[in-house]
Amino acid sequence: MREVNTKHVFPQDPNKTYGLMELMKGTKPTVGLQPDDMVFTWPHLLIRELVLFAIVVAGLLVAAFLFDAPLEEIANPNHPPNPAKAPWYFLGLQELVSYSAFVGGVLIPTLIVIGLMLIPFIDRKKIGIGKWFAKERALANGLFLTFLLVMGALIILGTYFRGANWSFVVPWE
Amino acid sequence: MATSQASTTLSLKEKAIAFFNTLYRALFRYGKMPQDAEGQSYAVFNNLFLHIHSVKVSKHSLRFTYTFGLGIIATCLFLVLVFTGVWLMFYYFPSATEAYNRMLDLRSSVDFGFVLRNIHKWAAELMVVFVILHMARVFFTGAYKPPREFNWVIGVLLLLLTFGLSFTGYLLPWDQLAFWAITVGTSIAGYAPVLGEPIRKFLLGADVVGQEALVRFYVLHVVILPGLLSIFLAIHFWRIRKDGGLSHPNENETPVKGTAQ
Repeated sequence: MREVNTKHVFPQDPNKTYGLMELMKGTKPTVGLQPDDMVFTWPHLLIRELVLFAIVVAGLLVAAFLFDAPLEEIANPNHPPNPAKAPWYFLGLQELVSYSAFVGGVLIPTLIVIGLMLIPFIDRKKIGIGKWFAKERALANGLFLTFLLVMGALIILGTYFRGANWSFVVPWE
Repeated sequence: MATSQASTTLSLKEKAIAFFNTLYRALFRYGKMPQDAEGQSYAVFNNLFLHIHSVKVSKHSLRFTYTFGLGIIATCLFLVLVFTGVWLMFYYFPSATEAYNRMLDLRSSVDFGFVLRNIHKWAAELMVVFVILHMARVFFTGAYKPPREFNWVIGVLLLLLTFGLSFTGYLLPWDQLAFWAITVGTSIAGYAPVLGEPIRKFLLGADVVGQEALVRFYVLHVVILPGLLSIFLAIHFWRIRKDGGLSHPNENETPVKGTAQ
């Protein structure tokens, strides 16, 4: 049972989810008790989105003129390249598959996806929100950073350090 | 209305202006560049494309160093991909004998075809990167905490759909790179017990990558996956509004007792 807050002009009934808060003179819909840290979407957010969109399109145009998308010879089922590699974001998985097809190719990816989806239902404490690398969340952030770094390292390993028959090679030789 | 009575005295030019004003107001209910609070509210609220936003946003969510605009950039890349992708569809043909020729055409005979293909390719690679970066941002700022749990789950689905779109698009040029990357990628799916081999055969439509796989990947790439991604993207944005905008330090539980809820 919460106490009736008598500080307000209109007493709040704890059994109701609604109540008359206060009466204010004004023309705007947002007359609040607290200082307003809100700004209008038009123009503050929209101008930022427009600028970002322009930068993205400009950057893509520059990249498109400078770098050609790769195109190799026509597909030939009789001439497999050695090694045949998946797209770069799956090379971490391909690296894991080289150790164990089932564990690396099925079990670990499934666990990763399920694990990612469960994160917000496990870590529910409302601390450290709205701040980069909050001290209160050092453990969670550390674990996730480790996860990202391991994934990144596996992708780099699969991309640059794997040659014929998936043997270890060094890219600068 | 008053205009009909006065119309006899109006000049042709004035009539034309009045007509275009009527037309403009029919399209955009509120004035041209709203300057006052009411106008700025209506400008967002009454526009199908803008009402995805709330009328007001917190200053904190606009700080560039908080989000680095990663989600917006990923969305922009998706829009560019839809635009260039539909454009590419005019030239592409999902046939094992024809697809590669169309790639060569894009390079040589289609006006700015190489630009079109390059933009689509680099935007696709960058979308994977920016979706992952956006996910990292959300994690490192604790933005997945209640009430945003479900939006994080939607985000994971969007990541998987992004992988799926990138992967299905990878086969379409029908070059050596495409063919063997998909052969390797789909063989990974085959390692799953029981379901693995049926899934692989469902994706390929045959035992190996061939004409059937090309059509299936094409349909997945241009219809099914973009459709699904658009739907989940809409839910993703809608949830941002419903969960009170972007995450904010004020949402943290204060250590003082008795103030919660």
